[in-house]
Amino acid sequence: MAKSYDYLFKLLLIGDSGVGKTCVLFRFSEDAFNNTFISTIGIDFKIRTIELDGKKIKLQIWDTAGQERFRTITTAYYRGAMGIMLVYDITNEKSFDNIKNWIRNIEENATTDVEKMLLGNKCDAAEKRVVSREKGEQLAIEYGIKFMETSAKDSINVETAFFSIARDIKAKTEKKLEASNPPKGGHQIKANEPSRKPTNWLMRCSIL
Amino acid sequence: MRSVDIESLIEDGKNNSKITCTRCPSKILLPQVGTYVVKEFNLPLMNRKAESDGDSFEEIKDYWQINDMYHFENIGFSKTVDDRKYLICSDCEIGPIGWHDLKTKLNYLALSRVKHVNS
Repeated sequence: MAKSYDYLFKLLLIGDSGVGKTCVLFRFSEDAFNNTFISTIGIDFKIRTIELDGKKIKLQIWDTAGQERFRTITTAYYRGAMGIMLVYDITNEKSFDNIKNWIRNIEENATTDVEKMLLGNKCDAAEKRVVSREKGEQLAIEYGIKFMETSAKDSINVETAFFSIARDIKAKTEKKLEASNPPKGGHQIKANEPSRKPTNWLMRCSIL
Repeated sequence: MRSVDIESLIEDGKNNSKITCTRCPSKILLPQVGTYVVKEFNLPLMNRKAESDGDSFEEIKDYWQINDMYHFENIGFSKTVDDRKYLICSDCEIGPIGWHDLKTKLNYLALSRVKHVNS
């Protein structure tokens, strides 16, 4: 069978427990099915297909699956990750303050060029908001990453967030590919290239 | 599912229609991606709501075999149980609608637990 996609990106959702990573982001439908069998075993990851500029992109999205309760996430979880969604709850100040700790954890464990995005999630009603939009924006600027507020009731924003991070990873990947396959006769600049060969994620099944 | 119904879903051994979730519009598989296989397997019931329902299974033998997990459009994987992961709808999380064999890396989607949509 012909290759059914152009790119495969591994994404992680990170943030304190209870910020709604699972209830909103990991699940794209508001109305989830309740089943003791599946909820007892737990969900590992999801595969979603999106299209960007005519390219078919497979997103493999992982939830921290409770590891965050220990306030640290192991290196193994970060392996191969190309994008990370940092999630806090706009009705929970502590979850916002902890974003800094999560960023430190990412810096210690993930590859340096991993694409990051900050998401302020509205798990509860907006009147319970304690973290202003401006505060979220400010933090994102501080770290030089994108910011968006998402909502359970407005799944469009959630989709937009995934499209946005996928678009940035795609641009980065294409730039890297171009750098490693310069046009013939072209001038080659390799000074900034890392010595390690970029992993070919198309050839690899990192999860199972 | 009666065998006559199954016949109408197969073309050259593959699924001739788009496959979606039975409960929400989530697109699971494009036409011509799954290969029809007969395999006896006890799949846990989808409507198990209480612990008291215990280990209730249904013997299902008609499946679409998908060789590569990335050939799915949208799908969710449960955590590992024995040597497999169960497949669920990636949007509404209904399941199990099939399973992934960790040894062979093959995926099996139960014909009776998905919707076949003729476009």
